[in-house]
Amino acid sequence: MKGTFLAIAVAAATVILIAVGTIWPIPSAVYFAGSGNGNILRSPSTPEIAIQNLGIRIRQHQLPAAYKSLANKAEFTQLAFDEDIDGFYTSLRTQATLETVSAQPLHESADQADVRVTFHWSTVLGPYNETRNIHVVRNGNNWQVDWPLVTRPSVPPQVIPVNYLRWDVIYSGARDEWGSQNVAGPNVRIVDMRPVNRAEGVYVLGELLNDDVVPAWVDVRATLVGKDGRILGSEDSFEMISHRLLPKQVTPFRIHFPDVDLSQVASIRMHPESILISASADPVIAILNQKYSALPTASLSGQLSDQSGQIVNFTHVLTTFYDANGNVIWVSGRFIGRALAPQVPVNFTVPVPEDLAQKIRSERTIVAAYSPKGVAL
Amino acid sequence: MKLPLKSYDTNQQIFFAAHYMHHWWNPWNVKWFTGFSQTTYPPLPQQWTALLGHIFGLQYGYMLVQFVAIALLAVGMYRYAGIWVNERAASYASLAVVLLGSESFLVYNAGQLATTWEAALYVLALPFLYEWLRYGGWRPLIKAVVLFAAAGSAHDVIVIFGTAFFTFPLIALAIMERNEGDEKTTSGAVIARAVAIAIATAVAIAVVILPYWIALFRYPVTQAPIPHASRANFLLTPFWGMNYFIVPWGALMLALPFIIWRGAHNRRLLPLMLGFWVCFLVGLGGTTPVALWLFRRAFYVLTFERFTYYAEILSLPILGLLMSELVARFRMKAVVPLAVLGAITCGLPIAWANYQPTNSINLRVGPVAQWLNRGGHDNYRYFTLGFGNNISRLGVETDAESVDGEWYSDRRLPELMKFGGGSLDNSKYFHPGGMEALQAMLRHADRYGLKWIFVHDPWYDPALHFAGWRLVDQIDYGAVQVWSKEGVPPAHPMVFGVEPTHWQDMMWGILPVGNSILALLLFLIPDKRRLVRTGEDTGATDEPLVHERLAS
Repeated sequence: MKGTFLAIAVAAATVILIAVGTIWPIPSAVYFAGSGNGNILRSPSTPEIAIQNLGIRIRQHQLPAAYKSLANKAEFTQLAFDEDIDGFYTSLRTQATLETVSAQPLHESADQADVRVTFHWSTVLGPYNETRNIHVVRNGNNWQVDWPLVTRPSVPPQVIPVNYLRWDVIYSGARDEWGSQNVAGPNVRIVDMRPVNRAEGVYVLGELLNDDVVPAWVDVRATLVGKDGRILGSEDSFEMISHRLLPKQVTPFRIHFPDVDLSQVASIRMHPESILISASADPVIAILNQKYSALPTASLSGQLSDQSGQIVNFTHVLTTFYDANGNVIWVSGRFIGRALAPQVPVNFTVPVPEDLAQKIRSERTIVAAYSPKGVAL
Repeated sequence: MKLPLKSYDTNQQIFFAAHYMHHWWNPWNVKWFTGFSQTTYPPLPQQWTALLGHIFGLQYGYMLVQFVAIALLAVGMYRYAGIWVNERAASYASLAVVLLGSESFLVYNAGQLATTWEAALYVLALPFLYEWLRYGGWRPLIKAVVLFAAAGSAHDVIVIFGTAFFTFPLIALAIMERNEGDEKTTSGAVIARAVAIAIATAVAIAVVILPYWIALFRYPVTQAPIPHASRANFLLTPFWGMNYFIVPWGALMLALPFIIWRGAHNRRLLPLMLGFWVCFLVGLGGTTPVALWLFRRAFYVLTFERFTYYAEILSLPILGLLMSELVARFRMKAVVPLAVLGAITCGLPIAWANYQPTNSINLRVGPVAQWLNRGGHDNYRYFTLGFGNNISRLGVETDAESVDGEWYSDRRLPELMKFGGGSLDNSKYFHPGGMEALQAMLRHADRYGLKWIFVHDPWYDPALHFAGWRLVDQIDYGAVQVWSKEGVPPAHPMVFGVEPTHWQDMMWGILPVGNSILALLLFLIPDKRRLVRTGEDTGATDEPLVHERLAS
C-alpha cells in the first residue's frame, strides 16, 4: 500500500513538475520555444498577444502557421506572405532572424485595434528594425492580425542598355601571389579629417578621395597617440566607409575609438590604404527626394532608385553632414533591409544624433552596394 | 564502420588527441584562440587516443578508445547492478547497457568520448564504494578512490554534478543493510566512511588533474552563457524533445512505469529508484524547473543529455530485473521482443543521426590546410565560416593558428567571451550574440594578425564585404572562398590567460594516464568474496544469492 502510494506520488510529482515547467517555462526554455521578449505562444486574447504570437511564429520561421493565424489571409497567398517576410530577393531580410517584437497601441475598441509594431531583426550586418502600423481584429474570443502585405515590386518588361565604365585587372603574379600586387596602389587622399569627442568615445570623421584614374579598394586606419607618446588605440573605418571607390569618387569615413576621451589625445596618425581592383560603374543608384529634418527626430530621408537592370541585393547608405562652415560634423550610415529592384524606389532614413541636429546645414550621400556573384535572385 | 567518426564532438576529441600526440609534455595549444591550455579539459580519453594513435592512427585510435569505454561500462554495470539485484538480473543489465539509447546517442550522435569514459570508470568504482561503506577495509577504499580519480581525469561532470545520484542511494542501502550478514556495522560508521572516501576522492582527483583545478580557479567560467537545446522544454519544442528524450530513451521509456513501481514497492530498490527519478528529471533539461533549482548558475553551463545517460544507467538494475523476470516466465516469447526493442533502442540514435545529421557539412578540409601551409600563409591567423565541426579537422591538418575554436571553456579572447555565441564559424545560429562576436572579431582583425577567412557559407559574404574584406581566392573548385584584409600585420604570439608551468606540464603528462593504468591493475587484483543478501526482496529468482566480482 505504501509502495503504491509512493509510486503514484512520484508519477504525480513528475507530471506536476513538467506542468510547472511548461506553464511557467524557465528562461532557457523560453529562448528555444518563444521569443526574445520572454513570451511563448498563448491564447490570443488581446491584440498585443496576437502580435506577439505572430512574432514568435516568424522568429521560429513557422511561416505557414503565421499565415494561417492572419485575419486577412484570404486576400493573398502564403507565398506572397513568405516573400514579404523573407524579402523578395536576396537581401538583408533574407539573412535575418526576428529577435523581438515591440508593440505600441495607437487605437483600440471592443473589436478592432491599431498597433504600431516594431520588428527587431538580427541580421548578418547587425541589428535592423522595421516599423509597421498593424490592424488587429477580434474574431470571437480571439484577436487576429490583419497583415499589411507589402507586395513584390513589378516592373514592366524593358531593355536597359548598359554603357557604364568597367575596369578589369590582370594580375601578373602566380596563383599564390594574390593580393601581393606588383603594381602600386591607386593614389588616394584624405581631403578632410576631424576628431569629435562624444559620450561613446572619440570619433575620427573625414572624407577620402580616389585621386587616381583606376578603381581602388580603400580603407582608412587611424592611430591615436596620447600625450605621453603612448598609443591609445588603432582602429579602422570598418563598415562606415565605401570600400570600393571609383576614380575621382569621394567616400566619407568614420572611425570609432570607444573608451577614449579627446583630452587624452595628442596627435592622430592617419593611414589610408588602397589596392587596385576590378570594378564597374554599374549599377548606378540614384538618390531621390533627399530631405533633412531636424525635428521631431533628426534624420535624413529619401529614396534610392536602381537605375540599372540588375537587382542590388545589399545597400549601405552613407551620409556626410556639414556645418555652416562646410566642416564635416558627422558621418552616419544605414543598411537597407530590402534588395533594390530595377527602377523601384525604396525609402531610406539615416539617423543623426539629436545634439547635432541644429548644426547641420548640408549633407552629401553616397551608396555602397554589394551583390554576390552567382546569387540566386 | 566509421559511423562514430561522424558524431559532433569527435573531431574536437581528435583535435585534442592530435596535440597530445605531438606535444605530450606541453598542453599549451596555439592552434585555437591564439593559444589555450588543454589543461582546461580532463585529458584521459584524448591521451589514450593519442597513445593508440601512434599505432592505429588517430581515427582508429579514437574508435578503439570509444569501444573500450563501452566494454568497461558493460563490466561495471554487471558489478554495479549486482549490488541491487541478483546475478541473473545484473547480467541482463550488463547486456542492456551496450544497447542503451543514450550510449548510442553519445557515441554516434554527440561524440562525447569523455562522458562515456567517465561513466564507465565511475560505474566500475561504485561496487568498491559500496563495499567500503558496508564493510570497510583498505582494499576497496583504495580501489574506489583510484577509479573515481580516473573517472575525474576523464571528465568532471559526473564527479561534480552527478555524484549525488549514484552515491546517495548506495549510502542509503549500506545504512539499511548495516545489520545484515555476519559483518554488522552502524549508521554512524557508514556515514563516517562516506565522508572519509569523499575527502580521499576529492584529494585524489585534485592531485591527478591539479593543473585543471588551477586553471578552473584562476579562470572560472565567466563568459556569457551559450544556448544549448538540451536546456529547452521538450514539450514546447517537440523537435528537441525528439532529439533529447525520445531518441535517447527509445524503448526504455516503456519500462519507466515498471522502474518507478518496482522501486517504490521494494525497500532495497527504493533509494536507487529515487536517485534515478531525480536524475531523470534533471535530464529533462528545461522541461521541468528541477535542473535549474539544483544547479543554479551552473545550469546555463551544463548540457543535460549526459544526465539522461546517467538516469538510464541508474535504471538498468531494475530493468535487468524486469528482463530476467520476463525471460524466466515467457522464455523465447520474451527474448525475441526484448531483443527487438533493444535493437530499436540502440539503432534509433544512429538512424536519427542520419536523418538529422549533426555533421552534415560535406567539406574537404585537406585543400584548405594545404593552402594555409604553403607560401607563408600561416604567418597570419585565420578562421572559418560555415565549416561546422570540420574546423577541428582543419586544426589537425594545418600549421596555422586560428582565433576561433570549438572548446569554449578556455577561450579568453574578449570578442568571443562576452556575447554568448558559440564558435565564430557558426555565429549565424547564435543570434544576436554570435553575429556581435563576429563583427567584433572582424573589427579587431589587425590586433590578432587575422588575415584569412575561409567561407563555405555565402550567407556571411555581405558582413565581410562591408567590413572591408575582399574575396581573393577559391579552393577546391569554389567550395571554399578565401577572403582577405589588406594591411594586416603578421600574427605574433599572444597569450590570453596563463600558460601552465613546467611542473604542471609534467603532472599532466604523467598522472592521468598513470593513474588510469594503476586503476586497471588494482581492478584486476582479486577481492575476497562476500555473501551479500540480494534478490530476496526483488524476487526475481530463487538462485543462490552470491555476489561475485566479475574480474576478481
